[in-house]
Amino acid sequence: MSPPDEIRLHLTRRGLFGLSSRGLGGMALASLLEPALLSASRTDPGGGAGPIQPHFAPKARRVIFLHQSGAPSQIELFDYKPGLAKLHGAELPDSVRRGQRITGMTSGQDSFPVVAPIFPFRQYGKSGTWLSELLPFTGKVVDDIAIVKTVHTEAINHDPAITFIQSGSQQPGRPSMGAWVSYGLGSESQDLPAFVVMVSQTSGLNIDQPLFSRLWGSGFLPSRYQGVSFRSAGDPVLYLSNPPGIGERTRRDMLDSLAALNRMRAEAFGDPEIETRIAQFEMAYRMQTSVPSLTDLSAEPPHVFDLYGPDSRKPGTYAFHCLLARRMAERGVRFIQLYKRGWDQHNDLPRDIALQARAVDQPSAALVIDLKQRGLLDDTLVVWGGEFGRTIYCQGRLTATNYGRDHHPRCFAVWLAGGGIRPGISVGATDDHCYNIVEDPVHVHDLQATILHCLGMDHKRLTYRFQGRDFRLTDVHGEVAAKILA
Amino acid sequence: MRTRLLWLAPAGLVFFLPAADTRTDAARIDFQRQIRPILSDNCFACHGPDEKQRMVGLRLDEREGAFAARPGGPAIVAGNPSSSRLYQRISAKDATRMPPPASTKSLNEGQIALIRRWIEQGADWQTHWSFRPPERRPLPEVKDRAWPRNPIDHFVLARLEREGLRPSPEADRITLVRRLSLDLTGLPPAPAEVDAFLADKSANAYEKVVDRLLASPRYGERMALEWLDLARYADTHGYHIDSHRDMWRWRDWVVDAFNGNLPFDRFTIEQLAGDLLPSPRREQLLATGFGRNHMINFEGGAIPEEYLVEYVVDRVETTATIWLGLTMGCGRCHDHKYDPISQKDFYRYFAFFNTIAEKGLDGRTGNAEPVLTLTTPHEKSLVDELERSISAREKEMPESRVAALEGAWEKTRKLPTASGDRLASHYEFDGHLADTSGGYRHASIARGEVTYGEGMTGRSAGLSGETHVRFRDAFPLDRDQPFSLVVWLRWSNNKSMMALASVPEAGGPRGLAIEFDEFEPLPDQKRGSRLVIRLAGSGPEEVIEVRTRALIPQSAWRHIAVIYDGSAKAAGLKIYVDGKAQPVETLRDRLSAPFHSAASLDLGNKSLGNPYKGSIDDLRIYSRLLSEEEIDHLAVHEPVRSLLADAGGRRSREQRERLREYFLTRDAPETERRMFSELNQWKAEKARLEKSIPTAMIMREMSKPRETFLLGRGDYRNQGEKVSPAAPAALPPLEKDAPPNRLGLARWLVSPSNPLTSRVVVNRYWQMYFGTGLVKTVEDFGSQGEPPSHPELLDRLATEFVSSGWDVKAMQRLIVTSAAYRQSSRAAPALVERDPENRLLARGARFRLPAETVRDNALAISGLLNGEMGGPGVYPYQPKGVWEDIAYGDVYSAQRYTPSGGKDLYRRGMYTFWKRTAPPPALATFDAPDREKCVARRARTNTPLQALVLMNDPTYVEAARALAGRMIGAGDPARRIELAYRLAVARKPETREVTLLRELARRQLSTYRADPESARRLLAIGESAYDGRLDAVELAAWTTVASAILSLDETITRQ
Repeated sequence: MSPPDEIRLHLTRRGLFGLSSRGLGGMALASLLEPALLSASRTDPGGGAGPIQPHFAPKARRVIFLHQSGAPSQIELFDYKPGLAKLHGAELPDSVRRGQRITGMTSGQDSFPVVAPIFPFRQYGKSGTWLSELLPFTGKVVDDIAIVKTVHTEAINHDPAITFIQSGSQQPGRPSMGAWVSYGLGSESQDLPAFVVMVSQTSGLNIDQPLFSRLWGSGFLPSRYQGVSFRSAGDPVLYLSNPPGIGERTRRDMLDSLAALNRMRAEAFGDPEIETRIAQFEMAYRMQTSVPSLTDLSAEPPHVFDLYGPDSRKPGTYAFHCLLARRMAERGVRFIQLYKRGWDQHNDLPRDIALQARAVDQPSAALVIDLKQRGLLDDTLVVWGGEFGRTIYCQGRLTATNYGRDHHPRCFAVWLAGGGIRPGISVGATDDHCYNIVEDPVHVHDLQATILHCLGMDHKRLTYRFQGRDFRLTDVHGEVAAKILA
Repeated sequence: MRTRLLWLAPAGLVFFLPAADTRTDAARIDFQRQIRPILSDNCFACHGPDEKQRMVGLRLDEREGAFAARPGGPAIVAGNPSSSRLYQRISAKDATRMPPPASTKSLNEGQIALIRRWIEQGADWQTHWSFRPPERRPLPEVKDRAWPRNPIDHFVLARLEREGLRPSPEADRITLVRRLSLDLTGLPPAPAEVDAFLADKSANAYEKVVDRLLASPRYGERMALEWLDLARYADTHGYHIDSHRDMWRWRDWVVDAFNGNLPFDRFTIEQLAGDLLPSPRREQLLATGFGRNHMINFEGGAIPEEYLVEYVVDRVETTATIWLGLTMGCGRCHDHKYDPISQKDFYRYFAFFNTIAEKGLDGRTGNAEPVLTLTTPHEKSLVDELERSISAREKEMPESRVAALEGAWEKTRKLPTASGDRLASHYEFDGHLADTSGGYRHASIARGEVTYGEGMTGRSAGLSGETHVRFRDAFPLDRDQPFSLVVWLRWSNNKSMMALASVPEAGGPRGLAIEFDEFEPLPDQKRGSRLVIRLAGSGPEEVIEVRTRALIPQSAWRHIAVIYDGSAKAAGLKIYVDGKAQPVETLRDRLSAPFHSAASLDLGNKSLGNPYKGSIDDLRIYSRLLSEEEIDHLAVHEPVRSLLADAGGRRSREQRERLREYFLTRDAPETERRMFSELNQWKAEKARLEKSIPTAMIMREMSKPRETFLLGRGDYRNQGEKVSPAAPAALPPLEKDAPPNRLGLARWLVSPSNPLTSRVVVNRYWQMYFGTGLVKTVEDFGSQGEPPSHPELLDRLATEFVSSGWDVKAMQRLIVTSAAYRQSSRAAPALVERDPENRLLARGARFRLPAETVRDNALAISGLLNGEMGGPGVYPYQPKGVWEDIAYGDVYSAQRYTPSGGKDLYRRGMYTFWKRTAPPPALATFDAPDREKCVARRARTNTPLQALVLMNDPTYVEAARALAGRMIGAGDPARRIELAYRLAVARKPETREVTLLRELARRQLSTYRADPESARRLLAIGESAYDGRLDAVELAAWTTVASAILSLDETITRQ
């Protein structure tokens, strides 16, 4: 910890003792769930040197990140290339591939035939944006979103690529984006975590890609910034419910006694951690009410379920999670991370992408519509996308009705909507083979910088001192993609 | 931001700061503590060790550069700030001011003044403190001569006296014995142990407790807890699918090493280079598992070279953190910005670890090469004996003799052809799709291509998954008519799929269907599925459906026979696989109408579900029941018959083996048949035994060592200059005669000339007992790390450690017998305010227990703890879905969580199976790391999720119930509460505590009395039984009381 941090820490503690009868206990509580009121004076006893408030006026107050795990094909969904039909079946020219390294799954192929998408595209919205017919609902919100066709990454396999887009590094050990944001901005909620994670399973027939808790982990940031998993079966938050046989009265009674006993020791020991402990039990108690009321959708009217589609009534589906994400946004959860598994379509792509798109298209669009109707889209940033793109060439056998695509790092499509984003635009262009970027590249670090920018944070200044170095989400890279911004 | 906060600081405020401080009193400025950190943080990035980034050739991290003559004058002129270019630039009011705004760094007025005064005082300059050898200074003078108990206390007290503070009084004996017990063994003291200490009036009573605890096997477990974090020990590989590995024998080695007090230098050498010692013992090979605990990848499509580099980088970072306290990882991509570690230094150090005989992608089925097979002597003797028997038997059956016998047999042996009686259709797939039964119901290709290859009888037809073959009118059979369908299949699908089926007609599926159910994992990464046979009449209710109970493994030829007796009952439908009748279950059993379908029988028809992918051979449909003999003939004898009949054909190896086996099993002379059968048994037994013997991953050198190159930007694709192994240039070199390999490196790390290792290690020990190291940044002793709060004390401990022969137990003993350690942790508000982090050590440390100890403590208090040591990881209660939600199918290991039963539920937390991508949730909630990377300092948070675990995790609910049982046995309520307090916090409760809990118990009794069902539900939690004689209502009420006691801040805190 550098001297100024020590001073700040020291001063803040002094200040809080003066300000609050709850002393450090109150402060540590603020660190976990970060009521906005206290965020200005939040410090990090764990050793951080983070700016705690936005660096400039934020456009978005929260993020809903709809991660499409496995990597959806930009070719089938977003990047319209009418000229591909003519190239269909032809060998991918070396002049396009330019020595690009490819995965061990296709590096042994003796042929790399170009595959035009089997699904037609059409124009949607006032903007006339071309989108696949697999995405009719996204088509309805196309004037509210910005499609970036030129996101690119470095990794060519899932583990490093998803770790990269979620933490800014291909190798484990760094904090996830949600952890950075909750560290930087804290929570707006008094009784819900700042950073929540939900995993929706595949809708296709292929096996899912695995996920890793590091994707929502806190890395070297204090562990309180890690994402809290909201689960579909059992307790929505681990260990939330009282055990069978412990009723509400018994719980309250036990907690009152516990608080009284703890307070006696606090008097004797003068350790502020004891006050914090008392407060955390109370917070846990409040979560026991607030979380079930969040996940209980029974009060949602039928037209809302209609908007998100029939799956939205089924816990654990992506549609259900999108609806839940809106409810979390309403309640001040800062970073809402969804993972929809099942996009890794190395083979049987036509069959699986259709199934997957059907499950994802309507709820994703519904979320945008719903947020907009409620006035929440203005200060909520929605991000939709995978960890890389897919190859223009066929993996496996190319037939009239079937093909597959391997991993492609050089371009893929991500859409963003809401706070800070210019609606109704498409940014960037790829070459005729949808292989290389020819205009406005947006590196994953640029995307991360842009997300932080929308939240009012300068990605170069959101830092944390670890092992003697001020680390950032964007490492030593990243430029805000100004073209996407409103 | 930093600057913005600074104006909050009232001018002239004097801080206590053990670290770099901005004190501006008249005292002599301490370069190490006050100046160097300012220069490091603000200047070194552009004027430091990184040669490529260095601006205007000015280097400020070394004396030479700072004082060198330069065109505009030296950066620093001792005694003269205004002539010092450095001072001129940092104090400039114009655009020349340093550091420049773009750096986002800036100096405040206090820091500038400090540098000015330091230059005025003569700009005393020293090498960075941790790069200088530790010095053993004489004990400092102290005023209070009575307080110090050992050398530690002189240093602590001298500092306190300088600060005008007094140490806290010694903690009471109960607190001390609990503190010692938790610190040294991770378990609470038993009430009898507390009593014994209280009763022991001898002068060395305290030391006796210390020695008892150091001798306890629990001590090794407690010490291992820290080492496992450092060594990133886990039970899974960590990347991507994250399946299991077996490294627990290495973990048990660590526990044993601590318990046996293996000196730290040997502990180091054996883990880093045990394999390179002269004739290493098995334990020394096992110890090198340390270097294989890193994550290992086998993601499909990943590039091996990329991960080989990652593994070595991990070893570099891990060993540099653990032994050197250096952030060497920075050197991977460029010269270190703060410390004198060049990129070349990084790759020279990397070279030590770059010659392990490992693969870039490995670990799919457990341990990755190289491995040590940990055969017990008994197992070895069994394997040896089997090997001897096998080789003797093989000699008894020389190939020449068997071949001669077989040749003679082959010439004369004729097998009968299978019966053609009522053979409705027959497809031999011998390069065509013709029906050779005489019925002319030839099959045809509806889509895709058929490829012909070797089959079980002649050739076979291969279908790619895109191929659809249609057997026109092949199945002219119906409800009242017996039939038999036999076929060879070898399929590679891994999803449920339809094999052969009648095409659905209008009005629904009708006719015969042979389907494979969902695939499930089998041992050895195989999959299998159950075979479903369906006879469907018109209408959805009209179906007979039976399914095999056993999974039928995929990817090998299987002979399948379905026979139906025409009874219109499921009981009349039988399935044989490889000639053996299969137990089946009946799923549906109603067929009152005809099921004959005029449609074709299809194979690979996409509209019927997942199409068949694989081969098919010799499909026969009989319009009668086949006898078991006939089925056996088709499954066993027919393939051999066809081989024997094709006398002129060249046989494949597989065919030769099939023939040989048939001969030796059935037709050879009796002696040969017996010998062959025994030989097969022994081989199977040996394979089974060898598979059951565990292995551990270890380090072993490649026979031809890999060369190491500097990698541009750390990328495996950018090989630059070739480098050879060496220590970082800024540190002393390896001994002259040292081997330039891991052994040389390990010896160098623990050489007395290494200034870092001993300091770094004793500092971590200090952290264990005081919550914070003397150097708070235990992982970073470099320029950006925090200087020590008590540098002379750190050096004293470091030199003591080396001179004691790296005696680990002696070092723990030294620390915990100090007066500094024995202080009370009660803190007056003024002291908390003055020194919130207790860096001056004017009081004892008070902090929450480590995650595993929180759990172990609750289990010990309740009496549930199972103290068994070592062995494979166990699976305590865990909410459903934690693994499964993120897992990859189920073919791989460690994708599905099945809780252990019985006593394994109550093992110590350190034995919990550690899955990296989904670490044990209750432990992770209390800041246990995921073990992806080396962790030298755990976070210590205080969160509502922790409260939820203590209240609701079945482990703690069950522990509360067990504790309640113990309490009830103690007698009246006051005694019960007293017992629980003595168990949980060692002390007796205060009267007001007893009163409060009695009231809680009273209220809960009436709650549960009114609702005895709730009591029973509460008591049903957890697998352990409770004394059935206890009254359920009373036990439930006291369970709530016990839960409150287990949740006390004091219970989960060492103080």
